[in-house]
Amino acid sequence: MEIIQGVLIIALAFWMVLDQQGFVITTWYPAIIGMIAGIIMGDVTTAMIIAGTFQLMALGVANIGGSSVPNYGLATLVGVYVALRTTHDVENAKAIALAVGVPVGMLGIQLDVLGKLLNSYVSHAAQNALNQGKFKKMERIFWIGPLIFGLTTALPTALCVLFGDRLVRLILEFVPKWFTDGLSIAGSMLPVVGIALLLQFMPVKKYLTMLLIGFVISAYLKLPILGIALLGFAFAYYYFTQNMKKTPVTAGAGEAGNAGEGDDFDE
Amino acid sequence: MNNTEKTDAVTKKDIRKAAIRYMFMACNTFNYENQQAPAVVYGLSKVLRKIHKKDDDYKASLNNHFNYFNTTTWMANLLLGASVAMEEKDGIKSKDAVQAFKTGMMGPLAGVGDTLVWVLYPTIMGSIAGYMGLQGNPTGAIIWVLLNIFFFFFRVKLFEMGHSSGLKLITALGDRLNIFTESASIMGLTVVGALIPSVVKMNIPLEFKTGKVTLPIQTEILDKIMPALLPAVLTYVVYKLIASKKLSITQIIFLVIGLALVCSFFGILGV
Repeated sequence: MEIIQGVLIIALAFWMVLDQQGFVITTWYPAIIGMIAGIIMGDVTTAMIIAGTFQLMALGVANIGGSSVPNYGLATLVGVYVALRTTHDVENAKAIALAVGVPVGMLGIQLDVLGKLLNSYVSHAAQNALNQGKFKKMERIFWIGPLIFGLTTALPTALCVLFGDRLVRLILEFVPKWFTDGLSIAGSMLPVVGIALLLQFMPVKKYLTMLLIGFVISAYLKLPILGIALLGFAFAYYYFTQNMKKTPVTAGAGEAGNAGEGDDFDE
Repeated sequence: MNNTEKTDAVTKKDIRKAAIRYMFMACNTFNYENQQAPAVVYGLSKVLRKIHKKDDDYKASLNNHFNYFNTTTWMANLLLGASVAMEEKDGIKSKDAVQAFKTGMMGPLAGVGDTLVWVLYPTIMGSIAGYMGLQGNPTGAIIWVLLNIFFFFFRVKLFEMGHSSGLKLITALGDRLNIFTESASIMGLTVVGALIPSVVKMNIPLEFKTGKVTLPIQTEILDKIMPALLPAVLTYVVYKLIASKKLSITQIIFLVIGLALVCSFFGILGV
């Protein structure tokens, strides 16, 4: 029974990153992962309490523009597993889950960065295969990508299933603190690359005003990103309605229906 | 491509298959260089093979799709559906138009899409499922999964819509589409501006000490000049570095990691 549970937990760890980055059905959000882990471990109630704690910690942490964020889903999964292996007392389980889950979740950032770096080579290899006319080979090479990403979460989970939290602690003790700190610092600086890349494709010079407004409201007024998004929507809506009045529809009246439809799914 | 070899008609099944192939791979081949491009190639490779019978055309088309691509994966379905329609209509001649269309649309769509899909939706569902979870109740999480399944089918539909009417929509809209893209850029840039201080974190733990007075550099000097000064400077520097094209994205990443490690070693930057 314990072996089956361990295997299922590792399989879930492998799947959750692939789903989050692909189908987005079971995702890696703590609430859902915690529920599934709870079903596997046979204690949904305690698992949900742990998952709820992590879910609320994770709010507002979004994986945007290729940034690497602490993997709270991984933290939940490992936390639920180790906690329910040890105890079914809710408060104890919560404490154990936080103590074990958080460091593993942080480790998740570093492995995620590594996965994204390695995938450059996958892309190059696939393109080479294409140019040599080996189309089947190209298809196969692409599958290395999901394999790498699956391992970024399955490996730390497997280590926790096999060795409990001891090994994770050992790794973190063995590696000098400046190094792990440095990697964490890098993790919180690296989103800048995603943002800067995104900016290359946007009319920054034309709408520098908007960039500054967003920055000022977030940095000085600390408004949550959701509020700023709404404000951005307000500006966008104003611009849209004002300019739509000025611009006549170029094509016939039949297209008006399409225009309305376009607005619906884009907004 | 009006040659004698007639291309097989692309069926609805092909389109659905391409949608699901892309949706599975989406960010699972994500890398810092061309980001989602390999997933686009993987997703479209089967349907494009049907369109481009000649190996050279097929290679040229896929090489074109190996160019940098990144947007909200949910929105990408619309763009990719329309791209397939373009290649179906004009063959390999449409290559440049497809590329221009994809790069033109991905930025604005990412701004809006990331906010909706990766911020708004998880924030709302996460708050509900999280609070219910604290009471040991999985109902919120179950609703979340059910909604995800609904969106899964909606996204397949988006791909089909992109294929059947994406282009018609775009040509018919003409100037109006520009207005939409501009509006999306306005919202997108506001959000990106807010992302810089809230996502990029840098902290200098050093202190000036003169006699009894200690002056923490971060809170008393830098934050007084401007909050999130360092993230703003870093964003500007990286933005310029990428624009200059002197370094590859991977090199820039290693540069940032190296900088973080060195600064951590000397205690210049803290967690």
